[in-house]
Amino acid sequence: MDSQPTKLATSIVHQTTRRHFFSQCGVGLGAISLANLLSDGSSLAAAPDGTTDPLQPKPPHFAPRAKRVIFLFMAGGPSQLEMFDYKPKLQEYNGQPIPASMIEGKRFAFMDSSHRIDLLGGRQAFAQHGQCGAWVSDLLPYTAKVVDQLTILKTCQTDLFNHAPAKLFMNTGTGQFGRPCLGSWVTYGLGSESNDLPGFVVLQSGPRGPRGGAVNWSSGALPTTYQGVPLRNQGDPILNLSNPSGITAQQQRELVDRVSQLNLKRLVETGDQEIATRINAYEMAYRMQTSAPELMDTTAESAETLAMYGIKDPKETTYARNCLLARRLVERGVRFIQLYHTNWDHHGGPTENLEKHLPEICRDIDQASAALVLDLQQRGLLDDTLVIWGGEFGRTPMGEVRESTGRNHHIEAFTMWMTGAGLKPGLTFGETDELGFGPVGEKAHVRDIHATILHLLGLDHQKLSIRFQGLDLRLTGVEPARVLQELLV
Amino acid sequence: MGSRRLGPYLLATAIAWAAVWFLVPSQGRSDEIDFDRQIRPILANHCYACHGFDAHSRQADLRLDTRDGALTSGSGDAIVPGDPNASQLVQRILHDDPGAIMPPPEFGKPLTPEQKQLLQRWIETGAVYAEHWAFQPLNTKTTGRSEPATAATPSEMIDHWIAVGHGSGSLREGSGSLRDPTKVRGANHDSTNVRGANRDTGLTSGANHDLTFSPPAPPETLLRRLSLDLIGLPPTLAEQDAFLLQYKVDPQATYAATVERLLASPHYGERWGRWWLDQARYADSNGYSVDSPRQIWPYRDWVVAALNNDQPFTEFTIEQIAGDLLPNATESQKIATGFHRNTPHNEEGGIDVEQFRIENVVDRVATTGTVWLGLTIGCAQCHDHKFDPISQTEFYQLFAFFNQQDEPKLKVNYSNPSTAATTETPTETTTLVLQERTQRRPTHVLIKGDFTRKDAEVSPGTPAVLPPLTARGAIPDRLDLARWLVSPDNPLTARVMVNRVWQVYFGRGLVESDNDFGLQGTSPSHPELLDALAAQWIEQGWSLKQLHRWIVMSRTYQQSSSVSEQLREIDPDNRWLARQQRVRLEAELVRDAALVASGSLTATLGGPPVYPPLPDGAMSLGQVNRPWKPSTGPDRFRRSLYTFTYRAVPPPFLNVFDAPDGVQTCTRRLRSNTPLQALTLMNDAGFFELAQNLATQIEAEGMVAAFRRCTSRHPSDEELAVLAGLTSLDAARVLLNLDETISRE
Repeated sequence: MDSQPTKLATSIVHQTTRRHFFSQCGVGLGAISLANLLSDGSSLAAAPDGTTDPLQPKPPHFAPRAKRVIFLFMAGGPSQLEMFDYKPKLQEYNGQPIPASMIEGKRFAFMDSSHRIDLLGGRQAFAQHGQCGAWVSDLLPYTAKVVDQLTILKTCQTDLFNHAPAKLFMNTGTGQFGRPCLGSWVTYGLGSESNDLPGFVVLQSGPRGPRGGAVNWSSGALPTTYQGVPLRNQGDPILNLSNPSGITAQQQRELVDRVSQLNLKRLVETGDQEIATRINAYEMAYRMQTSAPELMDTTAESAETLAMYGIKDPKETTYARNCLLARRLVERGVRFIQLYHTNWDHHGGPTENLEKHLPEICRDIDQASAALVLDLQQRGLLDDTLVIWGGEFGRTPMGEVRESTGRNHHIEAFTMWMTGAGLKPGLTFGETDELGFGPVGEKAHVRDIHATILHLLGLDHQKLSIRFQGLDLRLTGVEPARVLQELLV
Repeated sequence: MGSRRLGPYLLATAIAWAAVWFLVPSQGRSDEIDFDRQIRPILANHCYACHGFDAHSRQADLRLDTRDGALTSGSGDAIVPGDPNASQLVQRILHDDPGAIMPPPEFGKPLTPEQKQLLQRWIETGAVYAEHWAFQPLNTKTTGRSEPATAATPSEMIDHWIAVGHGSGSLREGSGSLRDPTKVRGANHDSTNVRGANRDTGLTSGANHDLTFSPPAPPETLLRRLSLDLIGLPPTLAEQDAFLLQYKVDPQATYAATVERLLASPHYGERWGRWWLDQARYADSNGYSVDSPRQIWPYRDWVVAALNNDQPFTEFTIEQIAGDLLPNATESQKIATGFHRNTPHNEEGGIDVEQFRIENVVDRVATTGTVWLGLTIGCAQCHDHKFDPISQTEFYQLFAFFNQQDEPKLKVNYSNPSTAATTETPTETTTLVLQERTQRRPTHVLIKGDFTRKDAEVSPGTPAVLPPLTARGAIPDRLDLARWLVSPDNPLTARVMVNRVWQVYFGRGLVESDNDFGLQGTSPSHPELLDALAAQWIEQGWSLKQLHRWIVMSRTYQQSSSVSEQLREIDPDNRWLARQQRVRLEAELVRDAALVASGSLTATLGGPPVYPPLPDGAMSLGQVNRPWKPSTGPDRFRRSLYTFTYRAVPPPFLNVFDAPDGVQTCTRRLRSNTPLQALTLMNDAGFFELAQNLATQIEAEGMVAAFRRCTSRHPSDEELAVLAGLTSLDAARVLLNLDETISRE
């Protein structure tokens, strides 16, 4: 489409603006700091002493494998037993009570009502796929085709079994509110390589928003600079992105120019470097007004690409479209992209059972997730992009007493997959016991997963910390966390 | 472990010594080492995690947080006073074997050569420990050279100690903020020296700073500053005109009269009420995933009224912690207990109700500790505090005070004179309160904070490191706790609150870690001033309005905030206050200032929350799509304090400017500066509406008046030239987007 001319026009306007500043603002400010103030790209960082763009790219602690992350968050708790964790014995023991020794001292959601201890056999046919021979059920035919690219973690563990706290746990490493989430930590640690889009972007699809809402992408104790910015598929992609009605692009450019001229005078008067940061923020906001709609406009994507993702109507808000947008965001240097897709909470209620609704939601995500992996690979982006797939917990081997078939929340062992930079493709990590209840051998606690993700990005989870309420706050907290070296090339 | 291979380390020591020698300014070379400022931070940050108060995680049975422990625990020779070479601690910190060096490399916090050197000097000079300053009684007897005149007013006392910090030692007239700017780049004046010198003294002292007060801010700035700080609204044109006219005649009297006018304004309670509501984690919904609306705004109105009435902070505290337990508790005193009903409430299916009740009690303990005591008591929920002398048992003793309440709704009569006339206002409403149970719940220590793992039963009590609590009956209750919090013996509460008010005026506290006065917190920059202010505050009846008056009447407060490059180089963080601090307005005030500037403000106080316009789709980001029908008529333009706040989806125009979302106590807001803020001010429908209103004002009164409405000062010709040629609406948008419009200078 016409994104090139638009960009060019923007750039010309910028240059004009810069010249305008130099000629009009004869207020004694050195030309060097002005140039620094207004130039594009990395030299944004070079604003006069002390003031830096908080999102300027920063060096990691050590050489990274991944430069950016796409986290495909399956909100509600996908049933690993119907998708990845093949358990013939569970089938065999269908309807029998789980051995008491297994669940002694364990706690579950809905303990007072629908929770039960009778095992529910896996409901899907499984087969081995690819060179690696990973088991994948018939609900995920497209994913099955890319298993040789994936690193599958079958023994993921978390601490909390209610949705909102568990989602917080997966995102922030604690069930408490007010802590920075993974995406915020990463943009805090590494900055962003995008000069005209936020460094941390959130995309949502499915029938409802994720439980807990904005706290899932909150920057917590970190400045709001690092909080996730939801990109919406309807209306403005970013809140307040469009000019107010009746305001033309020319008026908006004039607004930014004159505000910045007056701000510059005030900067000289007061010496307050925050004003330099604000001038930069207005420039970036203005660029975002062009670049965000351009990002969302997928009409330039080829028919093959759309078909690969399974996008029928590019205007419709779907998980598939969000996967495509994730690739476009990656191409534009955005550091952390998180997709939320609801609703995976298959308890067996009228609108959330394993028979009808699980296959539906698998169709929502299967083709597009696999397409994203292939698309990134084809474009050479998978080498330094980390893709993560998973929910806040999994589901119990036991069934529930509800209208139809379902499973309860399960935190002892559930499946996630990752792919991309620095991971061993085709590897399956961890095995569960014959009923799929808990790990046999190695496990991947959420803290370990966090430590590993940071490690791939070149960040030491022990070092990435801020002082907060008496603690050296870290994503991985104070309990032990280990980098899962087994996953790494 | 071991004392082998001492040779290389002695050499390294010699080199380190030589390096340090050059860095330390001459005054700092004295053998006097201040434990509190120099040694404690090193031990706390690098050693206490494994060798501190928490016995469970203590390694090698060695504790370094007490002198006794350092001399006798572990191998018994961790520290040998007077003999660094015989001290295991010294051998280990200088060790070159990664397996033996302390702190261990995997701890990720290596010591710098300077720190190692300091520890050695400290041991050499006897390894003297001092009690942590914040746990000691207020020091009101300053010793030695730096005392202010006894007749000094509190404001003069402030200026005295700030001047001492400048290094000028007395209240001299200064025409600039540097005593001798030509010296600035000289060898004795680099910033390393400045900070180094201060670290080496136990008192406020700045012999090397060579700073003095900046000149007073211009009258226009002073009025705007006072108005924004005291009532959270910029001055109107009429107020500006009157002030400037009178200021020419009698600056001091005019300034003082303005302070009194603003302190008496009902908007004072709104502005400082929000300051308190941050700490109370106030919001209008239940939080977590479902996040249903809740009704607790009568508590918010109680806070505003209490501050407007200048209720002594002692009573203000007692009513909020335990108003229901006061004899013949009034409705108002019960409403006040809403403070601790501002905890989130999880309505998700399948939860264990007891789990979330316990979480709320934990939050109440942690919040009380943070807000009043400035201590991170919450850290002791799962284990003994790693740094501060607060055991896990003591955490659950505090927990026991808050474990005895039911959480009912209280029907209250609502009569707000300003809105009672309108029919839509209910005359009876409900609010959330605490109410003591008749049947006591036993309280147990919970192993690792897990409510399913009960350990020993405990009874209510307060940490042993603080003065004891006096109970009215056999078992202390919340009322006893509340009175203990504000007892004059308590060394923390007054210091913490004085500091927390101070930081609003200067952008940072005298103690920068305003919510951590514990061993890991920062030491006060001006310890005598902090204590003197706290002592005065107690003596004068804990009046917040008095405290505000003392601060704003000081010369320190009235300085210009402009900063030269030289001054910034000497004191980049403005720790020594040789200038005021220019700050961006808090989230609510960003909009409130625009409401006033555009002539749109509905100044009504109190009542149910209101719904100003939000961008389309702003409420659809949570699990549940919450309806948001924008208020029409006057409620659309109420102060932002009254905007309905969902915890899960807070109003974007507040959130983007760092307003807290009420999920936990917030004692100090961040001030970010982002492109999303720019988009909000430029494009948000609510702000655009205000720009349209300001455009109308421009047409009626002209550009100069509009500029003054936004910035509270007259524009220069150059500034007017930038605005020339714009339509009224475009000019109005420029004015409302200025950095200055959303700043206090």
